[in-house]
Amino acid sequence: MTRTWDTVRRNRAARLERARAVGHGRWVEADRMPALLEALLEPGDRVCLEGNNQKQADFLARALARVDPARVHDLHLVQSVVALPEHLTLFERGIGRRLDFSFSGPQAVRLAQLAGGGKLEIGAIHTYLELYARYFIDLTPRVALVAAQAADREGNLYTGPNTEDTPAIVEATAFKDGLVVVQVNERVDRLPRVDIPAGWVDFITVAPTASTIEPLFTRDPAHIGEVQVLMAMMVIRGIYEEYGVQRLNHGIGFDTAAIELLLPTYAEGLGLKGKICSHWALNPHPTLIPAVESGFVESVHSFGSELGMEAYVAARPDVFFTGHDGSLRSNRAFSQVAGHYACDLFIGSTLQMDLAGNSSTATKSRITGFGGAPNMGCDARGRRHATPAWLKAGREGSTAAMPRGRKLVVQLLETFREHMEPAFVERLDAWDLAEAMRMELPPVMIHGDDVTHVVTEEGIANLLLCRSPEERADAIRGVAGYTPVGRSRSRSAVEALRGRGIVRRPEDLGIAVGEATRDLLAARSVKELVRWSGGLYDPPARFRSW
Amino acid sequence: MTGPRRAGPSYREASARRRLAAILDEGSFGELLGPTERVTSPHLAALDLPVAFDDGVVVGTGLLGGQPVLGASQEGRFLGGAVGEVHGAKLTGLLRRALAERPAAVLLLLDTGGVRLQEANAGIVAVSEVMRAVLAVRAAGIPVLALVGGAWGCFGGMGIVARCCDGVLMSEEARMGISGPDVIEATRGVEELDASDRAMVWRTWGGKHRVLLGEADRLLEDSLPAFREAARQLVGRARPLTLAALEAEQAWLARRLADLGGSADALDAWRSAGVDEPERLPLLEPPAWSAAVAGARRVRP
Repeated sequence: MTRTWDTVRRNRAARLERARAVGHGRWVEADRMPALLEALLEPGDRVCLEGNNQKQADFLARALARVDPARVHDLHLVQSVVALPEHLTLFERGIGRRLDFSFSGPQAVRLAQLAGGGKLEIGAIHTYLELYARYFIDLTPRVALVAAQAADREGNLYTGPNTEDTPAIVEATAFKDGLVVVQVNERVDRLPRVDIPAGWVDFITVAPTASTIEPLFTRDPAHIGEVQVLMAMMVIRGIYEEYGVQRLNHGIGFDTAAIELLLPTYAEGLGLKGKICSHWALNPHPTLIPAVESGFVESVHSFGSELGMEAYVAARPDVFFTGHDGSLRSNRAFSQVAGHYACDLFIGSTLQMDLAGNSSTATKSRITGFGGAPNMGCDARGRRHATPAWLKAGREGSTAAMPRGRKLVVQLLETFREHMEPAFVERLDAWDLAEAMRMELPPVMIHGDDVTHVVTEEGIANLLLCRSPEERADAIRGVAGYTPVGRSRSRSAVEALRGRGIVRRPEDLGIAVGEATRDLLAARSVKELVRWSGGLYDPPARFRSW
Repeated sequence: MTGPRRAGPSYREASARRRLAAILDEGSFGELLGPTERVTSPHLAALDLPVAFDDGVVVGTGLLGGQPVLGASQEGRFLGGAVGEVHGAKLTGLLRRALAERPAAVLLLLDTGGVRLQEANAGIVAVSEVMRAVLAVRAAGIPVLALVGGAWGCFGGMGIVARCCDGVLMSEEARMGISGPDVIEATRGVEELDASDRAMVWRTWGGKHRVLLGEADRLLEDSLPAFREAARQLVGRARPLTLAALEAEQAWLARRLADLGGSADALDAWRSAGVDEPERLPLLEPPAWSAAVAGARRVRP
């Protein structure tokens, strides 16, 4: 008997035939979407319901949550972000059974409850890049439900500024005989540009309301405190200037927003324009506007977009990646690769760190996942091109005869976080979460052996220069302030490390703590950002005070 | 640094004590009943809540443009600048002192959500005493000025106090009213008012709307020097507190209500008042804004 080699393709044809039999053409009426999904889906299917960091296929999520669980059940959802309540309603109703994902910010508590209650099996928690990679290896979607801004008559798609995950999902699905269903905000005669060709798309619906996009990366400068200004000064002086960091990725917290807002003031005063922070893998953060306007920033490639930044980005095509129509072209997969291989530095905030430098944002009752930080915040072992920053970090971090560079991975944290919880601990909460959820690994965001610098309000610990685990622990204690971990430091050990430049205080960097005031911020309010942009930045209503 | 011009250190971000020191002539401020006296709220202590050694308000004497004035400044970072018994008594005491000392003006730097709920009736009585004291000072021909530029703005009973003054100075970031957006949303529902729509909130309670309606006299940039200069110009300029003046103001208010009372949104009111393209007003800087609304502004008689 000869084997048939096209069972998947035949199955695809059978599904399309089922859809046709109940009267569905390529264009689907919104109210008939649940019926189409019931015709297309089979129990146990692997389904990617596009949930990005920002853009959500929210209409398709609601439609899927309404299908009859007697017909569609035990689905295996593979999606980067679990953001909407409907994403978890699927599991409550038995439509979904298993979940492979990357990040679950707003749904972290309910996700933990469903997983704990046996309604939801977690396959694995990934980084973004890892999950996209698995779409092409062993988690290829059978059906993808995605979102785009607009479609033309033929079914070509324009994804708009928030392209995000869509190309990676559709590529993996369409070229393995899967089915692609898309919700669009509008149908137009002529698209501004084609992001996904019509031939990769099977069904299209015009959603009754535009897909949700959240302004996740807007940080109001009004909420940046003087401690964050001080830490930003230390980073600029003690790391960016020291290593000549030109290519980098920032996290999304207020700490890194403070650095962005200090470039046109403090860094420019140090004569660092053109010497640091020229090339970025970053969403179009509003707090980057002053640095762009004052000439620090040469290029920015973006994972996604940011609400309100459309006109500003379109007016700065030398800096941002844009289509010929002017709108931003983002692509999370490519930007993650860029952040991993082409950046010399990652810097981000974390909530908890142990004495090995492992850091985590996990707490006992929440499963938040990872997102992209672990791919940015790790050494790229496959990298082979050299830059001065990378080589210097490599020299500091190794005594081996063979030269090799090293990515700078910087973790920012105040010694105490909210409710006076110490940020430095002997044992991460991630261990408890792993035990409670029976995970194979404690969810560590950045592993200690990847971290090169820890920055707190007390100073910088350079872990590259440490030569033993004990020295690393002493260096971390040396910047851990009045936390129990910090108070158990040996004064002489820390002073010895300070003598070797492993622990550096603000005064060692020539920074007077009293100068760390909010007046150093290039913008102290969202309104000042609008002014810097010449009125091009149009912040969402929730960030306005005018 | 390139980029937008900044008028000076922010009023909004300054502490109550720094605001008063910066408004008054340099070095002229003398605090009365300061933190070292430790006159604190008995009600908060009874509830086992933290107290402030000045009960959240700074009062004292000083000079403005060389003329003697009295000043009070509420600390919005302590219980939202809310008025409790001691806090209110300090304000009332300062105003009564003005009757004896006859300064060129009393400056009230207000940053408050209104009555301190933890002190209930004592706080309400305190606010009504402040109102009565303001009117007594005005009746004596001494101008009382309200400066509203803090993060809390000026709400509740203290919103009424501000409107009892001779003049109100506001930054565009400041807000003034009686019930604030959160209170309205909580009592009347989100269908009535969505307090998370900040653009609408500022359109409705913000400095620009208040000045356009004639409830505040000057729209200022959020800077300490701008507030100082505007306050200096109003020192010694008392508004008459006579029956004729009150009747004129009442007629003016009735006319305003007839003209603009049907507006569903501040934008409608601005349009009805005669502003071209009212949508652009929120983004204009105070000087450009003042020019744009010159013909439309209502001015209190």
